Amino acid sequence: MPLPPGGAFNNRQPAARSGTNTNDPDRLSPLDLLIFLPIIAAVAMAFGAPARSAALAAAGANLLIALCLAFTFVPGDGFQFEARRAVLNSPAMGFNVGIDGLSLVMVLLTVLVTLAAVWVRPPKEGGEGFWYSSALLIAAGAMGAFVSTDLVFFYAFHELALIPTFLMIGMRGTGNNKDAAWKITIYLGFGSLVLLAGLAWLVVAAAAKGGEMTFDMAKLAAQARGIEGGTQEHIYLTLLIGFGILISLFPFHSWAAPAYASAPAPVAMLHSGVLKKFGLYGLLRVAVPMLPLGQSAEWIQHILIILLLGNILFIGLVTIAQKELDMVLGNSSVMHMGYIFLGIASGNAIGYGGAVLLMFAHGISIALLFALCAAVREKTGTLQFHRLGGMAKGAPVLGLLFGMGAFASIGLPGFANFAGEVNIFFGGFANKSDCGCLGWLEWATILALWGVVMSAVYMLRAYRAVFKGQPGQAVYGVTDIGQDTRIPALLLVAALLITGFFPNLLLDLVRPVVEALAPVSR
Amino acid sequence: MPAYYLEIAVVVLGLVLLLVEAFTPPQHKRRIGWAALAGIAATFLLLLTVKSHCGCDSPMWQFYDDSSLSLFFKGLALLCTAFVLMLGLEYLPVLEKYSARAGGGPATGEFFALPVLICAGLMWMASAIDITTIFLSLELTTIGFYIMVAYMRRNVGSLEAGVKYLILGALSTGILVYGLSWLFGATGQTGLDAIRTALPSAARGPALFAFALILIALCFKIAAVPFHFWVPDVYQGAPTPVTAFLSVGSKAAGFLVAIRLMEPFLAVESLRTTCIAILVAVACATLILGNLAAIPQGNFKRLLAYSSISHAGFLLLALASDRHTGELTSTRIIAFYLSAYLCMTLLAFAVLIIINKSTGSDELKAFDGLHRRNPFLGFATLIAAASLAGVPLTAGFLGKFFVFIAAAGAQQWLAIGIAVAGAAAGFYYYFKVIRHVYWNTAPEGAAAIPVSPVAKSLLIILIAATLVLGVYPQLILGLL
Amino acid sequence: MTTLNDYLIASGLLFSIGLFGVMFRRNIIVIFMCLEMMLNAANLSLVAFSRFNTSAGLPDYNGQMLVFFIITVAAAEVAVGLAIIIAMFRSRRTVDVDEISSMKG
Repeated sequence: MPLPPGGAFNNRQPAARSGTNTNDPDRLSPLDLLIFLPIIAAVAMAFGAPARSAALAAAGANLLIALCLAFTFVPGDGFQFEARRAVLNSPAMGFNVGIDGLSLVMVLLTVLVTLAAVWVRPPKEGGEGFWYSSALLIAAGAMGAFVSTDLVFFYAFHELALIPTFLMIGMRGTGNNKDAAWKITIYLGFGSLVLLAGLAWLVVAAAAKGGEMTFDMAKLAAQARGIEGGTQEHIYLTLLIGFGILISLFPFHSWAAPAYASAPAPVAMLHSGVLKKFGLYGLLRVAVPMLPLGQSAEWIQHILIILLLGNILFIGLVTIAQKELDMVLGNSSVMHMGYIFLGIASGNAIGYGGAVLLMFAHGISIALLFALCAAVREKTGTLQFHRLGGMAKGAPVLGLLFGMGAFASIGLPGFANFAGEVNIFFGGFANKSDCGCLGWLEWATILALWGVVMSAVYMLRAYRAVFKGQPGQAVYGVTDIGQDTRIPALLLVAALLITGFFPNLLLDLVRPVVEALAPVSR
Repeated sequence: MPAYYLEIAVVVLGLVLLLVEAFTPPQHKRRIGWAALAGIAATFLLLLTVKSHCGCDSPMWQFYDDSSLSLFFKGLALLCTAFVLMLGLEYLPVLEKYSARAGGGPATGEFFALPVLICAGLMWMASAIDITTIFLSLELTTIGFYIMVAYMRRNVGSLEAGVKYLILGALSTGILVYGLSWLFGATGQTGLDAIRTALPSAARGPALFAFALILIALCFKIAAVPFHFWVPDVYQGAPTPVTAFLSVGSKAAGFLVAIRLMEPFLAVESLRTTCIAILVAVACATLILGNLAAIPQGNFKRLLAYSSISHAGFLLLALASDRHTGELTSTRIIAFYLSAYLCMTLLAFAVLIIINKSTGSDELKAFDGLHRRNPFLGFATLIAAASLAGVPLTAGFLGKFFVFIAAAGAQQWLAIGIAVAGAAAGFYYYFKVIRHVYWNTAPEGAAAIPVSPVAKSLLIILIAATLVLGVYPQLILGLL
Repeated sequence: MTTLNDYLIASGLLFSIGLFGVMFRRNIIVIFMCLEMMLNAANLSLVAFSRFNTSAGLPDYNGQMLVFFIITVAAAEVAVGLAIIIAMFRSRRTVDVDEISSMKG
């Protein structure tokens, strides 16, 4: 069962410095494989390699590599498996990779979801190469962003994934897919540009106090301490808006639900599950550690809290009003971002840890739900509630797996989502206030708790409308899902359950990182 | 070998080609193109052997510069000319149709000789550090371009474009010369080095007047507001290889001249603030106009014209944001941006020429379903559009990013805001191209589009260059 | 005694007349003549500046050298320009700039 926040018995001392963290790191790193295997597989497909097997081989190999890395990883020992390749001498820019506990969790999320996503077959024959290579390229982009320790490549890899997303939704999506693809591209393009301007500002401001301009995150973090408070706040706000658009923070969220609803299954899984976490990862990797005065500024806190309540409460209500399964899932994905923002807003290690855990859990659970949602669409040809119902009779395995995904998404104990949310809620109350009264954060946490109720309402309602009750007109003669959907779904369910019962598997990795993020006293 | 031998070699090459052309039978005009290409390639190899001068005190070096920056821009001019010649070979069938002599066959030989002479002008521009040489080299390219733009004389569009370019080009020349005369009057010097030393003691009014006139005139060369209105029409009407040459070669050399001519003004503290303000205003206006006007375009050539204007805006913003950024000076940023711009713009024009050859259209509709009709061509369009839009890991992204950094260093917040909005608009209209290529289905009965081996190798080179520059900028910045 | 200012005023007038002619006249030939007038305005001011900027009793000949180049270039420009205008006239039978507008957008 999830542990109480604080994780009392896990204050393991950082292990002795291993050979991975020397001053002269290797030119190559196993992390390069994680990025380039999918790209190589995609290129091979363009030259006629069998698409499905190449994709599965690349994704499977990546999963194995990532697990090996996770087992050899030493928590609390900074960045590991590093490699540095300079591409520009001055200002220092390089294709540098390396992972710490935070990135490792994201890497694990990426490889799991990628394998599940490429396992899903395209609904129609033809264009297999394009289908799988796009999925792999999105995964490679996300992976590159998570393992890069250079600001430019961190940014660049994420945006690289934009193009296959755009093409896939536009060409292979369903429903109003072209409008949705257009919207997501313009929104994310604009968000990325705001982010880019913020990053440029950060780099320049950090170098303004003397010292050479650098894009290396570690050096930049040291430099950035010299930035004045007011400037830090403004840069933080710019980054918050930039990342916020990518994460579908409240007023910038309207691209997300229609895009996910009309995207083909692998894109919906990878984008909502993995790629969207880039923004949150970026906040924790760049904004929070490098701009501590911006993170702790009250007015920014208040803005963030209002917006995240918009995500949780407003979008929660919107989700309840939806009448189609894909729109429920898309909106729920937007809504759950609010909890993660709450964890980040709490500003303490418990909240941060919960945020990371929920990022992982949400990524897995939403990918699971989107995969099964695509199966429902394929079986019945519709996702409208009034035409569905009673599917659990014809497709019991689908119903069972979907139910598990729905329970995980609500945050039932036993699933990783629960551990994440509990940590976030405890984090919301972990800051001691002077007057003993409730501050903004505490009130926000109390309100956010109601969001869980809303999740339960719309998820159970969706589950009942699709799988229980009288069989709808589209459901007659429906068959159960085959191995191609069962295996990836079981993989994801297993990941959810394992991390749900043993959240410390992940929390141990993350804790040293987030404890360094949290200011000593607040 | 001293650097000026290169220009001599190129001029001789151009004259020899003109001579030989007169005796070449019409069916063999293509050979002139290959000869020009070989000559330019040989000159490019010679460029690699050039050493900067010994510091000997010849008067030559008062008006001719051979620093690494000049050599770099000479290289850009040569590369651009070589690519344009290849594009011209690809474009030959269209050209033959519209350039027939009154009595006989097509007159296409000069189409390959003139770019060589223009190239010489561009190379001189790269080295010009005296207002006399600046004026002369500018005119050598401009007059060459008058002919090239109007080359297809059986095509009304080309002739109209030629007349427009002629009048506006001559107007900009007039303004430039008048500005230069005031610069000369204010400082009493013609060499830029001497001007730099004399300018701080010059009267403020005449100096600013000269600055404004020169900037307006150069805006013609680099396709920036307020002298941008020729761009869409001339780009659309001119033969496509000439359009590519105009948008890349002419702009690159123009920017180097702009850097050289603006630099003395920006170095004077009393003039600096005003000059920077003017530059930023021009950059913002260019960004706004270029990007907004590009949004509704349905013709790919006009789209590229407005995109050329908006890129000029980014470059001007870099020019206005000198200092503050350490090693990443605005000159280096502009040099990198222009190299990136060369790759991606030529790539876009190459695709356009190939498609125009098959479909006879420059409209975006001609791109419908391209990824089915020729997947490689579709991919090339994707890379070109992505790089022009500034998607990371392509050359265009790093160029824009460096400009943002420079502007942030110079604290031009308003300009950054406009640049961000402009780049976002860029996403819109460049992705519109991708949408045509990948989303739309080809019209009924559309045949596959063939790509000749020359064109294919050209595309591969340009795609590779766009991607390599996007991840390894040291390649360019290390040269400066 | 004429001063530098007199020359500059004359050249400024020439330049303005040329500029307004280019902007407001519709006949290409007239426009072209106005452009030449602008170049000559520059020539006049260059010669004036150079004449009044004496060193050791002699004018600064750098400026006058530029004038010769400008005259030469102007001749080249006229040669090419008139050829283009004639080709245009042959195909469109007009020298009115307002009628040269088949491209829009």
